[in-house]
Amino acid sequence: MSFFRTSMQYILKYLEEVGEMSAFAGRFFRELFRRPFESRELLRQCYNMGNKSLLLVGVTGFIIGLVFTLQSRPKMLDLGASAWIPSMVSISIVREIGPIITALICAGRIGSGIGAELGSMRVTEQIDAMEVSGTNPFKYLVVTRILATTLMIPLLVVMSDAIALFGSFLVENTKGDVSFRYFFDEVFLSLDFVDLIPSTLKTFFFGFAIGLVGCYRGYYCKHGTAGVGVAANTAVVETSMLLFVLDFIAVMVTDIFY
Amino acid sequence: MEKSVARNIRLGLFVITGTALLVAAVYFVGQKQSMFGNSSQLYAVFHDINGLRPGNNIRYSGINVGSVKEISMVSDTIIVVRFGVKNDILPHIRKNAHAIITTDGLVGNMIVNILPGSSSGLAVKAGDTIMSFARVRTDEMLTTLSVTNENAALLTAELLKITREISSGKGVIGSMIKDTTITTDLKETIHHLRHTTEASHATLTKLNRLITSLDKNNNIVGTLRDTTLPVTIRQTLANLERSSKQLVKVMDNVNGLIGNADSTITNIRKGEGAINFLSNDPVLVTKIDHTVSSLDSALMKINDAGVKLNENLEALKHNWFFKGYFKKLEKEQEKKAGKN
Repeated sequence: MSFFRTSMQYILKYLEEVGEMSAFAGRFFRELFRRPFESRELLRQCYNMGNKSLLLVGVTGFIIGLVFTLQSRPKMLDLGASAWIPSMVSISIVREIGPIITALICAGRIGSGIGAELGSMRVTEQIDAMEVSGTNPFKYLVVTRILATTLMIPLLVVMSDAIALFGSFLVENTKGDVSFRYFFDEVFLSLDFVDLIPSTLKTFFFGFAIGLVGCYRGYYCKHGTAGVGVAANTAVVETSMLLFVLDFIAVMVTDIFY
Repeated sequence: MEKSVARNIRLGLFVITGTALLVAAVYFVGQKQSMFGNSSQLYAVFHDINGLRPGNNIRYSGINVGSVKEISMVSDTIIVVRFGVKNDILPHIRKNAHAIITTDGLVGNMIVNILPGSSSGLAVKAGDTIMSFARVRTDEMLTTLSVTNENAALLTAELLKITREISSGKGVIGSMIKDTTITTDLKETIHHLRHTTEASHATLTKLNRLITSLDKNNNIVGTLRDTTLPVTIRQTLANLERSSKQLVKVMDNVNGLIGNADSTITNIRKGEGAINFLSNDPVLVTKIDHTVSSLDSALMKINDAGVKLNENLEALKHNWFFKGYFKKLEKEQEKKAGKN
């Protein structure tokens, strides 16, 4: 009986949080189109989230392309299908691996950063101070961050895909003596808009989810400094879960339309 | 402030790079699908498109020349496929070209392969419909393979039976394998065969030599092979024919003569004519002989008289009384000679 009660409590708690997060998202959309637009803060956040994540995302993408090709190459050679490596790698990276890996890295770096930053601002009552001073903290802190992640994650994914494909090309060039032109001809020949457009569109949702969960956890941080760590950690875990759910939904929707 | 400007520049660079990469990817993917180039629409009608989808490649002589734009079902058995082909390729596709739906490799994507028509055909124009072939379906291939397999199984069973019979020494091949005496016989046969072959070789060499010698003109065959011989033979035959005709005439004459001689002989036998007396009366012959002897002596005398007369005449020529006459006679003779 107590198990049922405890389960019900968890479910209710979960539903409450989903509702609060939905209200938080609704508030974001409301505040998004209201003046004043915090463009300078938006650009600063874009720089922090985009430019400063590029190295991490680039290195990760490069290694993914390299490793993925190295791992699949022997099996493809056994099958006598080495000519298909560029097609296989490109479709895998562009459709799935590039977006999800980049989003997960950004969830770790950006999501936790937002959660920790806003959480510390909350526990140190900086947000309350902003409210008192007449500044809209939601607009200044939350809207700019969510918008920045929504806009920057797709660009990071595109760059990550390009770098990963370049890494794959390096392996093919060294091991299989494949030319740059042949490799990228094969890549673009095998890619279709059905690979490119849905995978790019879903990265906007990924970016939005990273910003939303990070901001939500940080903005409503409780229990002092200990709560800051919890907020950062929860932001990463929940974002990662949400990313997989969103990815699944995106694949299902793509499958319906194509 | 300066820091903020530098940061914004770096951010701008980042955004532009990311956007450019995305646009380039869209452009290259679109270009591969002939989305941005100038292309013309062609149609092909199929009964079964085997899972062909819009965006699949169109291949002409091994070159990707466009992509499938639209697939529409006109009736329960007619499916119209509309596809775009690059304008620079269009003049090379003939109206008698055929479209076939096939796979790119064994397990690749479906493609529409346009098989070139004969070069005498006219080039297609935008909006034309080209003919199509039905693709050989996998299930049809499997059915054929199944029949082939059944036949192969039957053949194998028969072969197995034959092999067993051979192994047990049945039949010609079996007895050849099992019977050891056959080996000896075979060896001997081969030995004889070798000798026969050698003899044949020698004979053939001789024959060859003989045939070579026949090419020369110094023997009968060579003469026969001479191309002028028929002409000569023809001429000879003509001569022979002519001669035989003359011979016939001669024979006729001879026959006439013989007939005459025969009648003459008959007359002689009958005792008519002078010859009968000449041949049958010996007194007459003696008389004739005497007469001939008398005639002979008379002629001798006449001859002597002639000599003496010549001498007299010569004496007359020198006589002055007859000299004028002889001179006149000589002059007349000279005149006659001058006229001639």
